[in-house]
Parts: sequence; C-alpha cells; structure tokens
Amino acid sequence: MSEQKAASRPFRLRVWGRNACFTRPEMKVERVSYDVMTPSAARGVLEAILWKPAIRWIVERIDILNPIRWESVRRNEVDIKMSPNTNGFWIDDIGNDGKPKHRQQRAGLFLRDVDYVIHARFEATDLAGPDDNPTKFQEMFLRRAEKGQCFHRPYLGCREFAADFAPITNGEPLPQPLEQTPDLGFAQPRDLGWMLYDVFHDRSADTSHVHTCTDECRPGFFTARLDMGQLRVPPPDSPEVRR
Amino acid sequence: MILQALHGYYERLLDENRVVPQGFQKKEIPFVIVLDAEGKFVDLEDTRSGEGRNRRTGRFVVPQSVERTGDNAWQKANLLWDHKGYVVGHSDTDHATAKKQHESFLGRIREVLKGLPDEGVKAVTRFLEIGDFQGILAHPTWRDVVAKGGSLSFRLSDETLLVCERPAVRQRVAAVATSVESGTPPQACLITGESAVPARTHSPIKGVRRKNKTTTRAKIVSFKLPAFGSYGKQQSLNAPMGRRAEFSYTTALNTLLDRDSHQKLIVGDSTVIFWTERRHEIESVFANFFGEQEKGVPVQDHKQILALYRAPESGVRPELDPTIRFYILGLVAPNEARIAVRFWYTGPVREVAENIGAHFDDLEIAAPPKWSPYLSIRTLLRAIATRNDLDTVPPNLAGDTMKAILVGTSYPSPLLAAAIRRIRAEQSQKDPRTGTLTPNVTYARVALIKAILVRDTRIGGPFRLNAGKEVGMSLDIGNTNVGYRLGRLFAILEKTQEEASPGINATIRDRFYGAASATPIAAFPHLMKLKNHHLTKIENRGRAINIEKLIGEIMDGITDFPVHLSLQDQGRFAVGYYHQRQRLFGN
Repeated sequence: MSEQKAASRPFRLRVWGRNACFTRPEMKVERVSYDVMTPSAARGVLEAILWKPAIRWIVERIDILNPIRWESVRRNEVDIKMSPNTNGFWIDDIGNDGKPKHRQQRAGLFLRDVDYVIHARFEATDLAGPDDNPTKFQEMFLRRAEKGQCFHRPYLGCREFAADFAPITNGEPLPQPLEQTPDLGFAQPRDLGWMLYDVFHDRSADTSHVHTCTDECRPGFFTARLDMGQLRVPPPDSPEVRR
Repeated sequence: MILQALHGYYERLLDENRVVPQGFQKKEIPFVIVLDAEGKFVDLEDTRSGEGRNRRTGRFVVPQSVERTGDNAWQKANLLWDHKGYVVGHSDTDHATAKKQHESFLGRIREVLKGLPDEGVKAVTRFLEIGDFQGILAHPTWRDVVAKGGSLSFRLSDETLLVCERPAVRQRVAAVATSVESGTPPQACLITGESAVPARTHSPIKGVRRKNKTTTRAKIVSFKLPAFGSYGKQQSLNAPMGRRAEFSYTTALNTLLDRDSHQKLIVGDSTVIFWTERRHEIESVFANFFGEQEKGVPVQDHKQILALYRAPESGVRPELDPTIRFYILGLVAPNEARIAVRFWYTGPVREVAENIGAHFDDLEIAAPPKWSPYLSIRTLLRAIATRNDLDTVPPNLAGDTMKAILVGTSYPSPLLAAAIRRIRAEQSQKDPRTGTLTPNVTYARVALIKAILVRDTRIGGPFRLNAGKEVGMSLDIGNTNVGYRLGRLFAILEKTQEEASPGINATIRDRFYGAASATPIAAFPHLMKLKNHHLTKIENRGRAINIEKLIGEIMDGITDFPVHLSLQDQGRFAVGYYHQRQRLFGN
C-alpha cells in the first residue's frame, strides 16, 4: 500500500427503525437517548455489514429524515455482567426475599420512528496487507448491503432496536426530510451540545487479538450541530474531537 | 443537553447571586453550639421556628458535605458541622464509633484550616481539644438533639455568622474546592468539553417525589451495579464530567427541586421542573398554568398572560423575548437510589405559550357556576382516577399528558377510555358521607373528553375518524353526530323523569347511562316508552308539549338507534349529555 492511507469512495446507507436509543453516557443507567444518531452508532451499523481488520470506517455526515419523537418505557433488566472470572450465574436466581435477585427496573427515554442516511467512507488501517485494496472492500460492502447481508443484525444504539438498511447507490437522489421542523435545524442551526464521538481504545495492553480496556481507553466528544437536517461529523483526528 | 442546560442555569444563578459557590451548600442546621472566644461553652441554640408541621429549621451556607457510605464512613467528617456523633462524640448505641467519628471531625478541621488565623476556628479547636462536653449534655435543648437528630454547628457568642461562614474560613474552603486534585488524569468533560479532572461520584439530588413520600435523596448520574459500567470504567468515569461541571449541574437541580422552589410542579408521579435560558417572566407564572387554583385568589386569565409571551419579537420588553429557550424536565424516582428522566422538552417560550394556549382552547367548555374555566392538570388527572386518588393514575399517563400539552401533540390515547370508564363506573354511586348520588358526568371529565376529541380532529390524531362536526364549548343543536344527539336525548329523558316525579331518589341515569352510551339499542326503546309515562304525569301540559317538541327535534334524522357506539362517540355522548343538561338547568 502507498504511504498515504488509501480511502474508499463515499457511501450512503439509509437506516431506519421503529425505536432507537443512542444512550447518553451520563444517563446510561436510566437511559436517555441523544436527539440523533451518534457517529459511533453509525459506525456500528456499517461494521455490522462489513468489517475487516484492514479497514476502518469514518462517518462523515448523518442526515435526519424524520422529526425527533420520544417515547418513555420502563422495563426489567439484569444487573450483573458475566465475566471470565466468575463461575457463572443464573439470571433467574431468586433471592432470600423471594424476589428475583438480579433484576433492576430501568426507565428509558427512547427515540421513535427514526430514519437516517449515513454518509461514510473507510480507510485502510496498519493491518492492511498487500492484497487489500479499497476497490475490493468497496465492492464487498455494496454487494452485501444490497443483498441485506450482515455479520450481525445492525441496530440503532441498543441491540434490541434492530435497524433496516438499504444503500443509496450512485446517482440515486438523496431522500429529503419529511418535515422541515426547527428541531432539525431548519429555521436556524440547532446546537445539541457535546456529543459522544466514539471511544478511542488503547491498544497497548492487547494480547493476541484480544483487546482489554484500560484507563487510557477514552471517550471523545464533539459539539454536535443540526443544520438543515444534517449532522456533520468531524474527522476522528481533528481538534474538534476532544478526548 | 439536559445537564448542559442545567450547567448554563447554574451560571445564570451565580450571576444573579442565587446559589452558593463551589465547595458550599445550603443546609438546615437545627442546633448551634455557642462558644466564647476562649472556646468555652455558652449555650446550645435551637434554630427552629414556627409550630407543628410547618416548623422550619434555620438554613446556613456550610462547607459541602462529604460522601460517606460503608464501613469506613466514620473517617469522613464534614467541616465544622455534622451530627452529634462527629461533633461531640455522642451516640445512643455505638460509643466506640462515635469516638472515632469525633476524632475524624477534629482531624478534618486541623487538616483543612491549618494555620488559619481566625478567632472562630481557634475557639472551636480549643473547645474540641479540651473535650469537656458536660455543659452541652446538661443543656435542656440537648434532649431535642437526641430525639430529633440533625446537624450541629458552631457560632461565637458575639456574632451572628456560624464559624464556618466566617470570611476567612470561606476563602480557605473555596480555595481547597477549586484546587486541582492529583491522581486522576484530566479528560474531556462531556458538559463543557474542557479538559478537567473527572468527578468520581456525583452529589445526590433531593426533592424528587417517590411514591407519595415528600423527598428522596438519589442520584441522576451513578454507576453502582456492575451491569451499568462499560469499557472497564469505574463509577462516574463512565461519563467523565469535570468536578466543576458536576457541581454546577447538581446545584442547579437541587435549587430547582428545593422545597421553596417556584419552578417545580408535581404531575402524577413525575416531578416537573422548568427554567429559561435567560431571565424570563414565564418562569414565575408557569406553575400557575398547571398548579392548583388557590382558594380566595381571583381566577387569572391565563390566555391573556400567554398572549403576552406569544408577542412578536420587535418592541417587547427584553424579559418577554419569546425566542428565549424554555426547558422542562420531568423526573421520577422509580428506585430508591436513582432518578430517571420521564420527559425532556425544550423550545422557545413562544412555542410553549402557544401550546399551552391551545390546550386551554381545547379544554374550554361551558363551566358550571363557581368553577374556574382553567382546570389544573391535577384536577384533570383526578377526574380519571379511581376514588379520586391520584396514585391510581397509571405511572406514565401523567407525564405523557403533560408532554402532550407542552409539545402540542395528541393527548395520550388511554385518557379517553379512562374518562369514559370513570363515568360509567360512577353511575349510581353514592357519596359515602351524605348518601346522595354523586354526579358522574362531571365538568372536568367532559372538558377532558372534549379536549381529546377537538384536538384529534384538529391535528389528525387517532380519534379523528368519523368526526363530522366537532363538539363545541356549549350546546350545538346543529351537531348531527349520533353520539352527541343521543347524549342530548338522554339528558332530556332524565329531566322529564325528574319533572314527573320530583325528588326521586334514583334517576334513569343511575340505571341506564352505561347501556345508553355504549349500546343505545338496548336502552333507548325502553327509555322512550318510559318517557311517555313520565310525560302524562307532568301536570303542566304546556311543558309536556315543549319537551315532546324538543325530543322530536333531536330525533330528527335518527331513524334507528345504533347497536353500539364507538369510544369516541361515547365521548360525544357524554359531551352532548353535559351540554344539554347545562342548558336545561340554565333556563
């Protein structure tokens, strides 16, 4: 590969679903979603369709097609995590008080009826070999997206909110927002404040392809702004992304 | 956005001098130990005033409380104020711990206020070092300290400020609070974006209602259980937030939720707070729109007030600028320890005013005498609650109703079903005290039904189908909807019966309302026969003929009684019944 990181041509992928929750980190216990899809959620959707160690997805823009609508739900969840160090547990365990032991009722403020267009491209990583050229992966991605193939079902922020997707091919007109409402930034740009960009992982502690998170794995934030239904996403290395 | 807006609000409060700076908090201190300059005990003062339930405790600005939980809590003492275990080492049960607590208390003063040339601090230190507490324990007020608990603090005998409020102490505390902590590396703060040392734990939030209890002490940002963390992060490092930002958002929240706050409303199970981006008058009147009408206060014309905030931008007083953003946050405490966001709404003041105005328009219906034309949201919710008990309203419904009003969307669909269910459930129900029959088609219920129907027709909600002409404020004889007409007919049939047999105990309403509104064919043929008997009993023939004519007018166009009425037509039935009844009694 050339010394310049080879980048792909831009892709546009439309994703939509009945519900979505792009959880704010500060409110991830009693969940509250961001108003719109975050770059890392968009990356997750793309990776669900195609990901290889040789490429890294860069999200450039997200179009919001539906007005922002909310829904509040309460549900029961499990309060423990499985880890390699435990001997395992039954999530249906009953405690001494006769009640389920590992259940927590959690509230959530989710988004409803969402529809986005993700604009993204990928670039080659250090792990790209001599045979990995962008065209190969470009074709793979388009083929897979058109057929609806995916490694795992893409989702909108949380696994339970499955996403439907379809690529927007070259020459096809971009879908436009349903209504030009002010909360999509139509009258004037709407400031959403600091939004999670992604978690930037520290690979120093990784052993044989297994990543272990350290304190150096840092979340990055950027000031999100909605302008005419569009969220522009800065490049990951730009000074606009603070970590 | 929520925490960022709160952060902004704190900055505003600080500018307006309405909050304490970082490192301090407002705290109720019921008992104050008075010392002389030599550190000798003078008096034990009780700062509580007033009587009975309304008894209020003196509030002071004290150094911020420390977080303490678990086995090592005794190591953490508050600076110059705390409970009796820390201050004088007294405990009813655990003397050993109290002694340790007391040592930490003195230790903390020595550590933070080291070398501070302040008389007050010297007096307190000397008093604690000598450790002769007989005077306090013998004081008559001490019994209250033991019985009531609460915090103690110190004051010099010839001063009004507490020792911890003295300028020198405050300066030192402020300096310590803003100094950078070593240990944790700085990270980007998710509120300000600036690089800052993240706070490990956040201050608790007080004043969110939990199941009818007045207050709760819980957190809005916390990561206690293992399943709440991600990426191997501990506690609040899951959501890195600088200490200053953490302080400002919690202070802003606690100020808004304060007992004396006028920017707080209780709506069903939600605690609703609201504020504006910059100073705006709507902050002070917003609660009136939704709160209970105070007795003896003349009814305010909400519409007139709201019209003011809808005013155009040019030429308005700066504090009425309708483009200023308005924030509304609905909080609930579903668990003992955590606070959840039920809804969050933000929009320009103009939009809020427009939406509330539309709500009052939709709700408006000919009110019985002595009733306000503006029903509070509590009255509306109580109208659909079983036994008038607000706790029986489904948890989400109150919040969703509030949200629908503010955003201007359809009212939640269970409201209509609930209102109709209550009307049917309460037919022929007797008031347990007086033994008289309770009215079931009440003003509040009908207003609510009318609002739901009118709004759905206007904006195209789920109940818009089969509308025809929508129900209005008062009797509309031109409305041909079969539900509405049958409602009117039913009111007249009831009136006929009442006139035929004055003082009758139970009317047809008590036995037939439910059937008449849901399955007219099962009730009306029978009622029409009854009516003929009633008419013959009315002595005033002119009156009888008038009634006959009126019934004929209403029945005009109705050839058959429908087999059943849809939910929305049952709603129109209730409105028609109410309208007609208002008219009959108005004449």
